[in-house]
Amino acid sequence: MAFMRKQAVVEALDINTITPDDAEKRITAGVKKYATNEANFASADANTPYLGHIVGMGIESSNLADITMSIERQFLTKMTTKTPVTEGSSEYKLTAGELGKLRILDGQDALAATPGLSVKMLMDLGHMAKNDAYLEKVMSFAYVMATGDGWKMADALKKMAGKAEKLAGAERSEALANLKTLISQAKDYDALLADSSKLAASKQKAYVNDKGGFDALSSELNLTLDKIKGASTGGDAATLAKLRGEEAEIRTRLKMSAAKLRVSQEVSDAAGKRRAIEDKKVAEVRAALQSSVSAAEKLS
Amino acid sequence: MMPLEAEDVKILRRQWRLSRALVVPVSLVVIAIARFHFKYRLDENIDAIRADIWKKLDAHDGPVIWAANHLTLIDSFLVYWAVFPVSRLIEDRRIPWSTPEYTNYYKLGGPIQSAFVRGLLYLCRCIPFLRGGEDAASENWRIKAFEKCAWVLKEGGAVFVYPEAGRSRSGWLEPKRPKDFLGKLALEVPTSKFLVVYLRSDRQISTTAAPPRGDRLRVAADLIDGILPGETNARDISQRLFNRLAELQQDWWKGSEMARNCGGNDVVDLKGPLLGENFSEDRTEADQEWLERHLTRKELAYLAEQGADKLFRTFWKFFCAKEACHKALGRAVIVVPNGAFHELEVDLFRRKAIHVPTGLQMDVRFTDDDEDKLHCVAVLRGGFIGDDETEGDVIWNVAEVPPGTSPGAFVRDLALDMIAGSNEDIGSSAKLALTENYGLPGVLWKGAPQDWSLSLSHSGRFAAASFMIS
Repeated sequence: MAFMRKQAVVEALDINTITPDDAEKRITAGVKKYATNEANFASADANTPYLGHIVGMGIESSNLADITMSIERQFLTKMTTKTPVTEGSSEYKLTAGELGKLRILDGQDALAATPGLSVKMLMDLGHMAKNDAYLEKVMSFAYVMATGDGWKMADALKKMAGKAEKLAGAERSEALANLKTLISQAKDYDALLADSSKLAASKQKAYVNDKGGFDALSSELNLTLDKIKGASTGGDAATLAKLRGEEAEIRTRLKMSAAKLRVSQEVSDAAGKRRAIEDKKVAEVRAALQSSVSAAEKLS
Repeated sequence: MMPLEAEDVKILRRQWRLSRALVVPVSLVVIAIARFHFKYRLDENIDAIRADIWKKLDAHDGPVIWAANHLTLIDSFLVYWAVFPVSRLIEDRRIPWSTPEYTNYYKLGGPIQSAFVRGLLYLCRCIPFLRGGEDAASENWRIKAFEKCAWVLKEGGAVFVYPEAGRSRSGWLEPKRPKDFLGKLALEVPTSKFLVVYLRSDRQISTTAAPPRGDRLRVAADLIDGILPGETNARDISQRLFNRLAELQQDWWKGSEMARNCGGNDVVDLKGPLLGENFSEDRTEADQEWLERHLTRKELAYLAEQGADKLFRTFWKFFCAKEACHKALGRAVIVVPNGAFHELEVDLFRRKAIHVPTGLQMDVRFTDDDEDKLHCVAVLRGGFIGDDETEGDVIWNVAEVPPGTSPGAFVRDLALDMIAGSNEDIGSSAKLALTENYGLPGVLWKGAPQDWSLSLSHSGRFAAASFMIS
């Protein structure tokens, strides 16, 4: 007997018969049961992060896969034909075919941090037509992360100022020393957000790490291939089989590493590009940071 | 022990003579490859480090056992370059014999490449080791390699052995897991001293073939006694050696921009209503597709082995460990994208987890595993996770969130109280502050950020915090 899921039955509809805005609404509605921040969920739009409690819907990471599966349950697509990525490969991608269940493959949802980015993902994967007007209002993943960090920082500073205000004597002076550092960090971050090139440079760090990892793994693969060549000459079947296993393992790691590198490269590139929507969101978080700084400076 | 045969000694003497004759060109080639092919740079104060080490070496007329941390396949060459100035190349006895793993180097590429590598290793005074294999032949190989090392030392020479017996998969030398080989070697040749070296390039995070090109290599080194009066146990000697290496490791990390302590935690409220969402009422079955989105093939196989009655708990143990590892990796600026559960593979039996793209290995430990909740801590580097016998460097606290309290605010207060309560110098949590740096929580004390790897988590009724005291 097939296992039955407990969620409410949702009638899936052809994603190409609805507008991106409708798709976004359905996606948001689909995750309602996982949202723990009711207020933020009630006012959620394309750019409300699924995760996080300050500006996000408060969905916990234990429900991340549920978000993706909820999207899959709601829509039908024509991208249903499994096509090998390369000839003879066991990996596949989805190409045009008969209308059927929408599938989001492993790693394809890595950047889908908001309902808007989920819709963008569906467009990027060819499930629905690209709509530039809609995408104009969707903040990039890089900025979802960057503004999210800003909100957290502003919140931490505000809370610390509130705490320090109630202290006296030696405890107050120690708290004020910490507050001074927090103010300085918040100002630095405010300056970072103000300059998209600086922000891009900071995101470059993760990219450089990932690139280093990818290059190192490529060297490991070359080394293993050299070992295989050496073992083939010697005719050592057992060693050869072991090395072939190692090669397959490194190739799997390399594939994941390449996928990861694509994500960090996209984040690094996008951090340097700012459109009206990113400007607006950056302005909001900078105002929050500046307000927290100004309140904290009154104490110190 | 199996004494070396006359023929073995003859072969070693011949290798020594040949390498002595060619030591200058071979060393210059090694240095040129490091500098011009890989574009590595040595520490700015390398002259002072060398002067200090050679002052100690000059005062010791006996044999020397080189012992260094191990992260890349070319570490021996790099350590040699860092420690040995060209002006000292005539000091033949000081040039170390190396002990490379046979399977890594001796059958590389086609016949020409393989012959070249073998020739180079021969001239670099290599005694091939075979670390794997439990059969008699492999065992004999190891015994003979040990005897060859001992022979070199008894002749007043130097040998280079990695005390960890392999490259560290976490990128961290763990002193609480010593290996006995070097202790045995010191007992065999009691006049030896240990030349202890910690070398690492600035951006070296994980185990790789070579450090990142263009990197600066920073070094910390010391010469210490092989055997102290009264020491008769190989483990005691090895432990002392590992402790000194660990101190040098700390010195190295003091000058690093990377965070040293990389740990994480995660708590799961097993009674949380949404946790059973994809399970049957009695929790003995689960939606296979949903499981596959979270677990790798190996993990799924382990889950199946546990049986239906343990399905629910085992799944959430995997999840909890992955979340804790995700946070530990974040400290090392390794971002596991949200939902990329397959990038982490957890071995619940061995209490290890691996980050598949980088191969980095982490330790995991369940501090709470009861009917109500799971709490897992993970350590990538910076300290020992601890076990049933040995206390670790991670401190944690798991508590129930009082009704009506925000779990986010509660876990932050819980963390600061825990840290203040575990250090008499702090005493009160009012002296601490929480900071958020690029999405990771941090602690300020006396206005300065602390490298404590604070990790926060909350789930349903529970909140938990952990930090590292190393």
